[in-house]
Amino acid sequence: MSRVQLFATCLGDLLFPSAVEDAAALLREAGADVTFVKKQVCCGQPGFNSGHRKAAARVARTFDRAFSRDDPIVVPSGSCTTMVKHYLPELLGVEPYEVWELSAYLEHQGIELPERNSGRTLAYHDSCHMLRDLGIHDPPRTLLERSGATLVALERPDLCCGFGGTFSVRQPEVSVSMADDKLASSRGVGAEALVTADPGCLMHLGGRTARVGGLPVVHLASALRRGVEASSG
Amino acid sequence: MAELEQPAGRFRVIARGKLADGRVQSVIDSSTARLRTNRIDAWDELGDVPERRDRAYEIRMRAIRDIDRLLEEFRAALGARGGKVAVCATAEEANAYIVDVCRQHDARLVAKSKSMATEEISLNVALEAAGIESVETDLGEYVLQLEGEHPVHIVAPAIEKTKEDVARLFSEREGVEVPPVLEELTAAARRQLRDVFLTADVGVTGANFAIAETGTIVTVTNEGNGRLVASLPKVHVVVTGIERLVERLDDLPTLLELLGRSATGQRLTSYTHLVTGPRREGEEDGPDELHVVFLENGRRNLIDTKYEEMLACIRCGSCLNVCPVYRHTAGEAYGPVYSGPMGAVLVPLLVGLEQAPGLPHASSLCGACSEACPVKIPLHELLLELRRDLVDQGSASRMERLGFFLCSLAWSSPLGYRLSTRLARIGHRLAPRLGPGRVWARGRELPAFASRRFRDSS
Repeated sequence: MSRVQLFATCLGDLLFPSAVEDAAALLREAGADVTFVKKQVCCGQPGFNSGHRKAAARVARTFDRAFSRDDPIVVPSGSCTTMVKHYLPELLGVEPYEVWELSAYLEHQGIELPERNSGRTLAYHDSCHMLRDLGIHDPPRTLLERSGATLVALERPDLCCGFGGTFSVRQPEVSVSMADDKLASSRGVGAEALVTADPGCLMHLGGRTARVGGLPVVHLASALRRGVEASSG
Repeated sequence: MAELEQPAGRFRVIARGKLADGRVQSVIDSSTARLRTNRIDAWDELGDVPERRDRAYEIRMRAIRDIDRLLEEFRAALGARGGKVAVCATAEEANAYIVDVCRQHDARLVAKSKSMATEEISLNVALEAAGIESVETDLGEYVLQLEGEHPVHIVAPAIEKTKEDVARLFSEREGVEVPPVLEELTAAARRQLRDVFLTADVGVTGANFAIAETGTIVTVTNEGNGRLVASLPKVHVVVTGIERLVERLDDLPTLLELLGRSATGQRLTSYTHLVTGPRREGEEDGPDELHVVFLENGRRNLIDTKYEEMLACIRCGSCLNVCPVYRHTAGEAYGPVYSGPMGAVLVPLLVGLEQAPGLPHASSLCGACSEACPVKIPLHELLLELRRDLVDQGSASRMERLGFFLCSLAWSSPLGYRLSTRLARIGHRLAPRLGPGRVWARGRELPAFASRRFRDSS
């Protein structure tokens, strides 16, 4: 049995623990021995993306202290995976890690999934770092289809949802308009729910639909493990 | 060049106005969508875009890293053909040189074709101050000149204007009603500009590239006005950044093949104009004098820094057309000259970060710009570097610095994390009233803290 270390991410730990739980369950279903290192905190991305490198490094060191390089690290977040993979080692001057975004790992392990989304029409929203920096396009889609869902393509699936970390509060009006674009285009193609693999996008898009209504926004891990219906209730 | 400067907060104020204007939103959306899909189709047609982008990047960086040699080579090559070269360190120097050329010829009227470099130095203002009339002959620029506005897109400067806007401006100019029909508008533009071409004393153009080996200026246009401006007046002045140099004529095809396709989706623009020197004996067309003004204006300082790749930009506008932030804010929010992702990077580099501290943050860092750049400028990475420099040089606000400092201190250990997040959960009800929480909550619900963190149950 292969061991993996689960990195919950700060947003996952604090706001979306059930999505992290679903991620852990999926990893076990894929045959992994999942360890959760309690010393973990955050990868430092918020500070890093705002230019506060010292603050980012202070936080990122908790990551370096918590995780070992012996086993792969799996993250239910495209943007945190990007931070750990592309920026954190250079920020701290440490060796790189073997780090996987959740869907890429599950797909690589060839996970079999019960058809919890059969009869469901879903849209998948590519998060920016996951798509462009990690190049992960197919795995989340393949897994959703394997779970029985019919996927409808958004007109521009790669269009940013407008979260962008501190961008969401520096340019709140533009940020919210970008969310509205994304939500409107999802409705436009007849999706029943919008699935994303990033807690940041989830917080932003979900926060907008909670305010103005709209289709459910669901984390990929929950959509796969419990089905969108059970996840969006 | 003072106009390039962008005080913090200006971006958001203008963006808010644009967001409230449904007409602008729909015009920008449809125009950028058209340009973007044209570009994507044109890239697809090439088949080997990755290799071509690599080659283009290599050509541009090879030139930039050897800029002094290339400048000298260009000067010698063009000099041998009777052209003159001036390298100007600042906008003021460049304007003074051009005004001086105009005065030598007692010029009263200057015809201009589209040039972002002349926008950057506010050449029209300098000419006007010297009592010289200057008329834009690019259709979009002409419309903006009549309206008294600045370009909002580096390739399609009047992208926000509809044919009704243009009809209104042309009617005012002619004193008779010009209907908002494209053929009628084109005919009106011809009527209004023809005399300018025929009577201008000096023609001013930009350059898309300058070839060091041969001393050749390359301009690509669609309207043909650039050719008239460069060949009818007795004097032709070219204004361009020093970074537009490329080493060899052989470098040109790679760049031209990408430029047209990336800008508008065209395999080649309607006119590709190569000028090597003024009119020679026995030739019928062309100016008696040719001046090439190479503008430094902060560019030289970027060579050999982490920002030097920005100099590779070929001003195709591809990054604007894919940018979701540009799509909602349009160009004005970025300032009067350069807009979109390339503007958000370039403007702070030209005027100094402290003069444009908001621009590096006018991006969600989604990276669509870097992906669309034909010369592979890592625009979103450069924005990240600019943000870092903003903090390091103390330009971030005190509140922001304090906030990140305190948060990072709290989250520098698992214990601090546990305590601070417990506190945050208790104080959660206050969040919609405080700082970033308040801003967030204006358009979105704040996420609720889960009753149990993941770590508490695992």
